[in-house]
Amino acid sequence: VALTWTRRDPSPRPVATPTARGDGDDPLPGLLAQVAHGDEDAFAELYRRVAGAVFGLVGRVVRDPAQAEEVTQEVFVELWRTAARFDPARGTARAWIMTCAHRRAVDRVRSAERAARRDDLAGRRDQGRPYDEVAEQVEAGLEREHVRRGLDVLTELQREAVVLAYYGGYTHREISELLGVPSGTVKTRLRDGLIRLRDHMGVHA
Amino acid sequence: MSADPHTLTGAYAVDALSDTERLAFERHLDACPACAQEARELSEATAWLGTAAPARPPADLWERVRTGAAATSQLPPAAARPGQRRAGRAGARGGRRFAALLAAAAVLLVAAVSLVALDLGRAGRPGRPVDLVAAVLRAPDARRVVAALPDGTGQAAVVVSRGEGRAVFEASGLPPAPAARTYQLWVVDRAGPRPAGLVDGGGRVTRLLEGRVDGTEQVAMTVERRGGAARPTSEPVVVVDLDP
Repeated sequence: VALTWTRRDPSPRPVATPTARGDGDDPLPGLLAQVAHGDEDAFAELYRRVAGAVFGLVGRVVRDPAQAEEVTQEVFVELWRTAARFDPARGTARAWIMTCAHRRAVDRVRSAERAARRDDLAGRRDQGRPYDEVAEQVEAGLEREHVRRGLDVLTELQREAVVLAYYGGYTHREISELLGVPSGTVKTRLRDGLIRLRDHMGVHA
Repeated sequence: MSADPHTLTGAYAVDALSDTERLAFERHLDACPACAQEARELSEATAWLGTAAPARPPADLWERVRTGAAATSQLPPAAARPGQRRAGRAGARGGRRFAALLAAAAVLLVAAVSLVALDLGRAGRPGRPVDLVAAVLRAPDARRVVAALPDGTGQAAVVVSRGEGRAVFEASGLPPAPAARTYQLWVVDRAGPRPAGLVDGGGRVTRLLEGRVDGTEQVAMTVERRGGAARPTSEPVVVVDLDP
């Protein structure tokens, strides 16, 4: 049996251009690329690396532990399904994963609890000073020093909007109702707050 | 919808938009590079908030995740879709061309071949193979060419990116190499075969081929003495033809 150990076709081909890659030491993009090709070991490693962060964030948003487990499971199955869609040119793997986790968590609280939350909001508005109670609930246990330090660079108004939206899962309209300010003001506070946070972190994705 | 969508980057980054608003804003992002850039940066900031409050998931959650993933088919890599058709044709052609060869190679899998070997050791620059694997797998021009392993034991594939000038060898269902032997990969061009790395076998393999593949026509795998050889000493177990 003859093996074609030599080139079949003598025609020249274009010279490929070397491409520089700047992933640093972050293993997540490589793991996602392997997961995209069905690599179960890479998927296990990805889980090991980010399950704590995902479960922590999801739990904070949905609050119910059983639902947090369900949503975390959904998030990882979604990461498995869509890993091929991760595009490193459009942000870090960490941001992609946490965005997926946050959106799933928010979807859960907005579907299952929508009615209850609307009633709750109406009740709080009627009682006055709604933000303090909500914020207390949302921020409870948010002890991590670096989170506090990060949030401390925000003004109090920016901070309450960011905390209610991100950790509380509230929409800008709901926050507007809670705080009794126009929703345009809430949008501005969210944007200004996150820009300040970004500059504090030195993030330039 | 707000008359000025440029102010929505913050609300978008913390998912404070309704579904309708979010979809509308994502359309805006496609048309507004400044907002897209700002939204990306603010999403990095919120991701930092998100990772900063971790909690330990219950021990059995991984098992549930694994089960759920096993029942879920994956989206194909967007960039590889056009190439997959070509890979199928190349695999079929290669299968015909090397059918007899593969039958012979099946015998070699269990045959002992005794030859002088050169220890390649760390022939390739160690670099960061995981990064390079990722770079190849997600390259816009990545193509995947498949070939069956002998005896229907499994499948080999080569993912090649001409733009990166690199290729990744993958195999599933590859039996462990015989005792004191190793699988060795070769890239073949007009100068003949060049060593491209060693593989242990025993299930699933993902291996960056050592060196560039600019002129490579074929990728082959042989069984060699442990440590590898400078030139192939046996008929290949599998040969994958790369389309130019």
